[in-house]
Amino acid sequence: MPKVKNHIFLFCLIFFVTFLLSAIATCSAEAKSAEAGFKKCIECHPEIQKEMSQKGKHEPFKKYQCSSCHNPHASNYEHLIKDEIGALCKSCHKGKKGSFDKKQSHSPFEKGKCLKCHSPHSSKNPKLLTKKGEQLCLGCHTDKEMFSKKNRHDPVKKGNCLSCHSHHTSDYEELTKKSPEQICVKCHTVKKKKTEKSHLYYPVQGADCISCHNPHGSNRGSLIKENLHKPFAGKKCTQCHNSSKSADPLSMKSKGMSVCITCHPSVKEDFRKVNTHIGEGVFCTNCHSPHASDETHLKKAKEKKICTTCHQDTKERLKDKNNKHKHPSVMEGKCTDCHRPHGSDFELLYKTDEISACVECHKRHASFTHPVGKNTIDPRSKGEIGCATCHNLMGSPYDFALRFDQKKQLCIQCHKGY
Amino acid sequence: MYRKINFVIIVLILFLIMPTSAFCRAKGVVKHLTSITGNKEIGRFGLPGGLFFDENKNRLYFTDTTNGRILAFDADFKYISEFTGGGALTSPTSIVKDSNGKFFVAEPAKGHILKIDIGRKSIKPINFSAVPGANPVHPGNMAVDSKDHLYIVDKANQRILLFDSNSNFKKNIPVKESRGLIDVKVDKAGRIYALSVIDGSICVYDDQGNFLLKFGSRGADKGEFDFPTSLAVDRKGLIYVTDQHKNKILVFNNKGRFLYAFSQLGWREGRLHRPSFIYINNSGRIFIVDRANTRISVFE
Repeated sequence: MPKVKNHIFLFCLIFFVTFLLSAIATCSAEAKSAEAGFKKCIECHPEIQKEMSQKGKHEPFKKYQCSSCHNPHASNYEHLIKDEIGALCKSCHKGKKGSFDKKQSHSPFEKGKCLKCHSPHSSKNPKLLTKKGEQLCLGCHTDKEMFSKKNRHDPVKKGNCLSCHSHHTSDYEELTKKSPEQICVKCHTVKKKKTEKSHLYYPVQGADCISCHNPHGSNRGSLIKENLHKPFAGKKCTQCHNSSKSADPLSMKSKGMSVCITCHPSVKEDFRKVNTHIGEGVFCTNCHSPHASDETHLKKAKEKKICTTCHQDTKERLKDKNNKHKHPSVMEGKCTDCHRPHGSDFELLYKTDEISACVECHKRHASFTHPVGKNTIDPRSKGEIGCATCHNLMGSPYDFALRFDQKKQLCIQCHKGY
Repeated sequence: MYRKINFVIIVLILFLIMPTSAFCRAKGVVKHLTSITGNKEIGRFGLPGGLFFDENKNRLYFTDTTNGRILAFDADFKYISEFTGGGALTSPTSIVKDSNGKFFVAEPAKGHILKIDIGRKSIKPINFSAVPGANPVHPGNMAVDSKDHLYIVDKANQRILLFDSNSNFKKNIPVKESRGLIDVKVDKAGRIYALSVIDGSICVYDDQGNFLLKFGSRGADKGEFDFPTSLAVDRKGLIYVTDQHKNKILVFNNKGRFLYAFSQLGWREGRLHRPSFIYINNSGRIFIVDRANTRISVFE
């Protein structure tokens, strides 16, 4: 019996050693073959050799595996890569623990434009980044005004964007690493006497600091945003809120929209319309900041962002690559160029009737255009022909944001005889 | 031999036909019946508002909001008459009628609901003084149940106001479970259906206003909404929702499961462009305010 056992052991040992040797031989043969392939590539692409000298190298590049990303013969994509960049990168880089599946995505990441930030072969910077630190971010985020204010937040001064922001995805707006209520208290404490005093002893624990403070910089002290609501500027908190000493200091003194309408009575009429953005409670604060803002009319954020918070499908439609022709106001996110933000008696909260709204800017079209208006009938719907009969201003694949290709389908929608 | 081949062919055909017919039944067959548009006789429609089908008189009533009038059509959709209330109507939107023949017309621009008793030649706003709330009532769409109770969407307080058959305020039904309340309907059993546009949800309450069910969401997937604007319940309990931006009607069963959608963006009859309101009568006819096409599209 021991002899049989010895034989089995010997057999296993021989099998294991043979397997190991053959694996090593295969790997080394593959490596040699890859290196030979790489040499073949640099015969025509000598500039790539230089990239080999960089400190950080992409793993396949390091192993001379050009064909892991490129097809040497033919491809539908530039540089003979095997797939669209985003899909190609994500075939290996899948993200740890669902880190790529969060609610918010960095625009280049979402569009699969990985090379906006990363070099595909090698880089002197970590993570194969094309530039170092804040230089990379500021390459696209060029709003100089934002970063050149008199007073700047410490991480901004140090160019440490990633101390607050995530680079690929986040569950929070502006790709912040934590929620608005948690991100600031990571470094700042609100339980200090100085902080309590500056907030006039109103409890601010758990508040969204960014609603009043600009996290990048401000010309005002304590990074307070530029435009202030009058009672806030005058430290007259009790004009709207209960006293800081009361049992419920943050509650409002009056109910619902009357908090705002008391001082802004003309706005009340804006909401007495057929179509309005009226809501429950103090609904004005759905769009406006009651304290401070960097936007005009104390808007909470840029117009496009405010509107697409609720109009989510419009946000998606604006992103649609097929809809490359849009009205300039749509592209610039100036929704209120055409729509009333409070209320309107016209469809889609237009400023006025559709034709008058368009002619306000497109003056030439008032006298020279395809007949539109009251005496023109769309033979398909039997309704009046307007500008939006032919144009889809929110986005279209066709020139002039037309609903159909003007060379093929547009005119024959109605003019059947041609 | 031929018998065997014939048998196999018949079995194969049956296999092909059965799932197709089952699929058709599951999808429901909704056909476009007609469209009602403006014409020389009644003039062009302005901004279309709401509509209501009177089962007793077999008449369709439609509010032409910017022209400040109510238009009446017979069962064959032929124009009967218009009503302006001698100028009392300025911009009527939602319209309903109770079993006693009284009309209720929403005028959100004036913040009231007009009760119109044509027999007595009386037009009076409903009294909102007993209605509590943080904001003044901003009336939206309405519904009437079999007991002539009136349900009014109050957009400014995210709730449904319930008035009895004498137009006395009874109670609030707060729609706490969602955001952006836009429409209300009541089915034969008295269940209340509330549609909210911001989160794209439908909340169902029993006849006492107790919450029963919530379903629906916004998104690009099948059965999700882009921008829901109105809902209706048919006699089988199926729930139809107009989607203004998908230009479709989405149909759900009474448990909230998406079944199918019909129509699509278009200008020709049977297609929709920004549908804004839906009403289904007892005989199963589906009336849709096809707002951007300025017409009423009728399906069945």
